[in-house]
Amino acid sequence: MKSFFKLGAVAMATFVLAGCASVNFDQTLADTSSSVGTFTGGKLELSRTKQQTQARNKLTADLLAQPLGMNEAVQLSLANSPSLQALLAQSWAEMAQAEQSGRLANPVFTFERMRFVDELEIGRLLSFGLLDLLTLPRRQAIAQGQVAQAKIQLSASVVEQVTQVRQAWVRAVATQQTLQYAQQVNAAAQAGAELARRMQQAGNFNKLQRAKEQNFYAEAAAQLAAAQHASTAAREELVRQLGLTDAQVEQLKLPERLPDLPKTPIQASVLTASAKEQRLDVQLAKHQLDVAGKSQGLNLLTSLLDVELGIRRDTVFDNGAGTSAVRKGYELDVRLPIFDWGTSQRAAMNAQSLAAANRYESTVRGASSQLRESYSAYRTAYDVARHYRDEIVPLRKTMGEETMLRYNGMLIGVFELLADTREQISSVSAAINAYQQFWLADAALAASVTGKPTSAGAMSVSSAATAGAEGGH
Amino acid sequence: MTNRRNFLTGAGAITTAVAAASVSRVAMAALPEPVLQTKPDTMDPLVPNTGRPYNPVVTLNGWTLPWRMNNGVKEFHLVAEPVVREMAPGFKAHLWGYNGQSPGPTIEVVEGDRVRIFVTNKLPEHTSVHWHGQRLPNGMDGVSGLNQPAIPSGKTFVYEFVARRPGTFMYHPHADEMTQMAMGMMGFWITHPKAKHPLIDEVNRDFVFLLNAYDIDPGAYTPKIMTMLDFNLWSWNSRVFPGIDPLVVRKNDKVRIRIGNLTMTNHPIHLHGHEFLVTGTDGGPTPKSTRWYEVTTDVAVGQMRQIEFLADEEGDWAFHCHKSHHTMNAMGHEVPTMIGVDHRKVARDITNVIPDYMVMGERGMADMAEMEMPLPDNTAPMMTGTGPFGSVEMGGMFSVVKVRKDQKAGDYKDPGWYKHRPGEVAYEWTGALPNPARFAAEGGKSMPVQNMPAKEVEVQVRKPMGNMKH
Repeated sequence: MKSFFKLGAVAMATFVLAGCASVNFDQTLADTSSSVGTFTGGKLELSRTKQQTQARNKLTADLLAQPLGMNEAVQLSLANSPSLQALLAQSWAEMAQAEQSGRLANPVFTFERMRFVDELEIGRLLSFGLLDLLTLPRRQAIAQGQVAQAKIQLSASVVEQVTQVRQAWVRAVATQQTLQYAQQVNAAAQAGAELARRMQQAGNFNKLQRAKEQNFYAEAAAQLAAAQHASTAAREELVRQLGLTDAQVEQLKLPERLPDLPKTPIQASVLTASAKEQRLDVQLAKHQLDVAGKSQGLNLLTSLLDVELGIRRDTVFDNGAGTSAVRKGYELDVRLPIFDWGTSQRAAMNAQSLAAANRYESTVRGASSQLRESYSAYRTAYDVARHYRDEIVPLRKTMGEETMLRYNGMLIGVFELLADTREQISSVSAAINAYQQFWLADAALAASVTGKPTSAGAMSVSSAATAGAEGGH
Repeated sequence: MTNRRNFLTGAGAITTAVAAASVSRVAMAALPEPVLQTKPDTMDPLVPNTGRPYNPVVTLNGWTLPWRMNNGVKEFHLVAEPVVREMAPGFKAHLWGYNGQSPGPTIEVVEGDRVRIFVTNKLPEHTSVHWHGQRLPNGMDGVSGLNQPAIPSGKTFVYEFVARRPGTFMYHPHADEMTQMAMGMMGFWITHPKAKHPLIDEVNRDFVFLLNAYDIDPGAYTPKIMTMLDFNLWSWNSRVFPGIDPLVVRKNDKVRIRIGNLTMTNHPIHLHGHEFLVTGTDGGPTPKSTRWYEVTTDVAVGQMRQIEFLADEEGDWAFHCHKSHHTMNAMGHEVPTMIGVDHRKVARDITNVIPDYMVMGERGMADMAEMEMPLPDNTAPMMTGTGPFGSVEMGGMFSVVKVRKDQKAGDYKDPGWYKHRPGEVAYEWTGALPNPARFAAEGGKSMPVQNMPAKEVEVQVRKPMGNMKH
């Protein structure tokens, strides 16, 4: 009897041990927030209470009250986006499941009641998976590793989401800016067309000359329509990223222009080895490797042995004799490794470990390359945008001024002046596109440094350099 | 100031020039020092103090090249070189010329003079000088390849001949001619008669200038040398109005003006207030029987005209090429005519896109002369020049002959604007304006209209189109 309770105490202790590792998701979110805090610039929170929801709504309303900057857009998506909330909840579920594998299987209580002539036998068996118990610390470590993986996965998802928000914001602002210039081109072309109409009316223009000017206007109108849709589409993409309701969409105001270029570009030192180690994908691969290593020994053990320990206490009532006797003892079940010596399983384990090791190595190596590519995209976009700002736009301005002087001297006519203005505006649009490419690459580089490379990071430089409202994707 | 025209006229000057030269004295001793001119102003006539006497000419916005006598030979030194010519105040051209200016200095000699001209080539390419209109040995005619090897860069050639025929001539390169003339390589040559000539009258004032044309993009400095006909600057001695000096004369002076045309088109030169006679061409003085009075004479390409008149009407008389676009400076050929086009609202729309925009040409081109608007750097305004009554609205080949009774003989200083006597200036009519009598029946009876439409046809300039409300 005494030993039975002793065993019971051990089991209870095991329960406690297993129970204390239950998932604290709020803590997890706080950890994630702090690990990607510089990236997101905001707090992650899965709202489950009314209070939390109210606080989020208030933050959302505050953010929507003013023109929404890039960082504010990120905060808004953290506070408002239902898809982000879904992401958090899903992550919680995954962590809880991972946790489950680190728990001790419940003990089995077997009760037997058997009658033989006058004999009644009542059998009680409390059995534990002995191996379960023995491997518990190890399994818990594995489970923790898996939770950690899930945390990293969560961080990666958050980074991805945030990057998408940033890029959607950049596109929305840039297309809105381009639209503004398309409107100017349209206005210039419209004035030209109207003037040409009057020129023809006064007898100074022939049909062909007038048609040419009218054609500029017709084409400008088509371009304006395209720019209008591009702007709407980009804005709606941002709306989806922010998860805005129809009412919130009404409130959404964007700044008039993209932010200025940073005075100096981020230096290539972001590509240091330590930065590489901190990348989420590298961390994830490392965790996967660790888990593979730990579970290898464990699985080797379980493949060979399946040991069950049972404590038995049987009571036999002899009705004939009117006596009862107690029978005590223990049972040990051992699965015999006769048919399966676990070679296949070991092979699978080995292969998986090897795969994990190579995956890790590949991730580490790929990380360097990705960083370099993202940095190149970033740096090129920065230089191109700066080139537009410092060279092309000022040159265009000079050309515009000189053209104006030539108009003053009646060396050219008003239609040439208007044509130059149209070209000047299209250069400005190309400059806006270059700025857009820069901010997209900036977001992509940030994601890349954190370790969640985005496809938009690999922007095509040549398309950024060409004039046009749409480019780079 | 390197105007040393008088510096070399004495023997001492030559010694000084030789002493000052850093190159071989022996080599330099043979050469007269080149005299350069740094100013584009009209210089006073160079009265000869060596050689045969003559009545000197005045080169409009130019000068006469000094010479030295060397054993009875008149020696000149022309230096072909890149120059900066001020074509109008504030507008400079990078040209090729002679001795610091383009056109080069006028060479004045007397009939029968033996002339030796040293030509130093400081251009980046070879050149030669053709003495347009002269009788001379074939090998001195200056056509490179045909009469002589071209003068290479950095080399000096010598031309020597006797000025056999009195008259009005010019000189210009005959090597890579299109480039070098487009760049301003040219000069005037006068051979004065050595004695009284039955066909050459004595005059009080004798002006000379060359007609030349350039194609310089507004804001640029160097002429476009590939231009064949479509020049945008029409100049007299590489000056454009109002950069051209007036031709100042005393009332009742007998005036001669000699004009040479080295542009690629003809120029009908027109004088106001007087009639003139064409008394000479590059072929020499015209026979008296061929002369008749004119107020305009056409100077064809490559020709010289010598006109003479008695300046007996006081005042400021316009004197210009009668091709109206030759009395303008650089202008756009593709500028559309805006006359009569209503700019309301459109102008405002354009100003929204181009804030500095200002409507011009709606009422004609005089807007241009009225508005003082910023132009590209180094651009002469298209129509400009302000007279006593406002803008003259002229440029290019335009000047003024100023006839004054109190102008002293030999004085070429600008006397200012003419002071009109009372009642001698056109004035505004302030009386009633009766309706003019119009004749009743439009169309004569000689060609009566056959099929008159019953309804009056309204000319539709613009065909109706779809929705025009844009």
